[in-house]
Amino acid sequence: MTVQGIRTVTSARNGVGAFILQCKRLDFHYCDWAGSSRGMVSFLKHHLPSFAKANPQIEIRVSPRPHKHPVIKGHYVNGREKAICVRNLEPEQIFNKANLLKAASGEKLKRTKKPIASLNESVRGIWDPYHGGFKSV
Amino acid sequence: MKRLQPQRWSSSVLSPQVRAGCRLQRRIQHGLRYQTTTTPFPVTEAEAKQPIQDLVPPPKKRSSRSAISKHSLPSPPVKAARESAKLAALHARLYLPARLPLETLARTLVDESADPNPDFNNESLATLGHDLLTQYTSEYLICTYPRLPMTVIFAAMYAYVGPKTLSAMVKEWGVELAVAPGGEVDPGHLQFKRLDPGVNPNQPLKNPNRPYENEATWRRSISSKIVYDDVFGEPVRASVDPRQQVQSADRYAAGVTPEQACSQFVRAVLGAIYLHAGRPAAKRFFEQHFISRHLNISDLFNFREPARDLSRLCARENFEPPYAKILSETGRLSRHPVFVVGIFSGKDKLGEGSGSSLLEARSRAAVASLKGWYLYSPLNVRLPNSMEEEGAAPWKPVHVDLGEVIV
Amino acid sequence: MASTFVTVKRPFLTLPFLLPSSCEVLSLTPRRSQSSYRRTKQRLRVKPDASFGSFSSHVEREHIIHNPPSSAPSVYHTPAKFLPSDDIRRSLCTDSSIAHEDPAALTPLNESPGPKRYHLNPSDVLEIRRLRTSDPMTWSRSKLAKRFDCSPLFISMVCGASPEKKEMQKQVLEAVQSRWGTKRRMAREDRKLRKESWGRDC
Repeated sequence: MTVQGIRTVTSARNGVGAFILQCKRLDFHYCDWAGSSRGMVSFLKHHLPSFAKANPQIEIRVSPRPHKHPVIKGHYVNGREKAICVRNLEPEQIFNKANLLKAASGEKLKRTKKPIASLNESVRGIWDPYHGGFKSV
Repeated sequence: MKRLQPQRWSSSVLSPQVRAGCRLQRRIQHGLRYQTTTTPFPVTEAEAKQPIQDLVPPPKKRSSRSAISKHSLPSPPVKAARESAKLAALHARLYLPARLPLETLARTLVDESADPNPDFNNESLATLGHDLLTQYTSEYLICTYPRLPMTVIFAAMYAYVGPKTLSAMVKEWGVELAVAPGGEVDPGHLQFKRLDPGVNPNQPLKNPNRPYENEATWRRSISSKIVYDDVFGEPVRASVDPRQQVQSADRYAAGVTPEQACSQFVRAVLGAIYLHAGRPAAKRFFEQHFISRHLNISDLFNFREPARDLSRLCARENFEPPYAKILSETGRLSRHPVFVVGIFSGKDKLGEGSGSSLLEARSRAAVASLKGWYLYSPLNVRLPNSMEEEGAAPWKPVHVDLGEVIV
Repeated sequence: MASTFVTVKRPFLTLPFLLPSSCEVLSLTPRRSQSSYRRTKQRLRVKPDASFGSFSSHVEREHIIHNPPSSAPSVYHTPAKFLPSDDIRRSLCTDSSIAHEDPAALTPLNESPGPKRYHLNPSDVLEIRRLRTSDPMTWSRSKLAKRFDCSPLFISMVCGASPEKKEMQKQVLEAVQSRWGTKRRMAREDRKLRKESWGRDC
């Protein structure tokens, strides 16, 4: 056996080829009695059907949470979840919050320093002093 | 530590029970644990008429008889697929073709270990999907890199469509695994019978078709692996005779690992796409989800004696015998010298490598030259499966040469 | 500027750009004067690389500028010798406009063994076998190689060592290794692992 194969696993590049939306579930919790849920109840009645139709990739659960402030919870592919309290918010503001959760990747927010992250090797390679005309080092 | 607040805690637990008629509603809610997009129970009459409820038929219509019979089924009933929000979301998340119905997608999520009935599990779809996956991947590898040695092809196949990759893909698709299979489980979960703790999942398989199978110490050649083993060069189970169907039913009685169940699911999805939406959709799905993943083929090589292999290669191809020359060096007498050595054949440079000793640099240069040979890729690669389309241009044979160095 | 006066050890005459203008010495305020800006621009005006060709003569001629990066070449670039004859890249790579380094001018790694001679006949081979089996202690591989003017590898290809000799060598090796301490043993093992990693390219 002159050469052996080393077993590895290919790594995913989400968006190269297929794109998988990272938000897989949104939970909407509301209270029927409390005033802080007024905007949420109105959102659920009037805006949620169109929101769900526009985002079929997301499973949507609506459940009451009596005597509590209304909350939107997003569950993500990487296993994390994000919750936003939407008390006293207007339906449009809640819609923006739901869109925020939809577009999030589920990761903790962190500052990106490089504009591009790539798995591909650099075309020019890694510089070293032994190539490119410096023959006598 | 957070202080307990008994009053609030008790109110949140007890308050639903105070509601009138709550017991019936709670039972319905219990049956509907995973079925969503609706409020579990309408709170006021005014709200019950709102469009939120109109999306899905109210759960009251389901008779209690069906709820009882669900528990006796090994896998969810077919009509549950239409009511599962998880399943519809998965269908949309993968951008599956509309011609692939939710019922088939639900079937791909039922492993053979969960439901031994071949009409309801994904075994047949997975067999088709596995054949398609391995065909497309091997075509891609062999046409793109026609000189790859067989062991590296096995490793690359494992990297692209091996069980580890497929189970990683299931996680990236956001598919959740059911704890235990059953008729009451939401059809959006992947259902399989888990292996009991203490059972070794990696028991060596024996293929009775293979000669001298019982000789454990004998070396297994690559050629025999091509003939008798699977696409990853691993021993394979003997194909099950349909007459011994009873035997295959309890094949998975002990359960399967999550890795096996996940890979069967991914294969079954591809098989289902092929059946329902046709060949172009299956190819597109393969390109988008499998070939688009990142793999550096040059990392898959492990050479034992690169210098010997290279001289054999040059002798076979009628090149001048290879020799090494120092291209550049620094600090020969220091603690950390660096040598850059090139390997030449005649006047042409075959490869170069650097190292902290002359032997290391020469060995790495030989590895680089051999990789230069093996990783040759022709221009304008055309795969054989492009001939399946209507009105395809006439086929031009792909590049074939001796390829692998055999010592 | 005041700090450069202190740190610069070399004579100022060799580094004329470090000499401050007289006005700066008087004012002692570090500011960028127009003369230094002009000098910086002058220094940045470098001649194009030789691989770009002389522009005066080849202005109208189309040619490929081959200016490889100063990094180790990628293994995905198949050398011209390994390209099949019908590949179009073969003619591009062997283009005369690309300057190749001449291997004859480079230092060889070690003295080349020269062409193969095939000077031993079957009777010599029989003699080698007889010597090695009759007296394995005297006639080691290196001694036989020296006597028959061939390589030790050829001796081992022609005849193997007897089992007694192998056993003896094994005992000698064990005796030597039993005297090794932890450090030496670990260093040897690390060396072996490093050697295996050469073939993996990592």
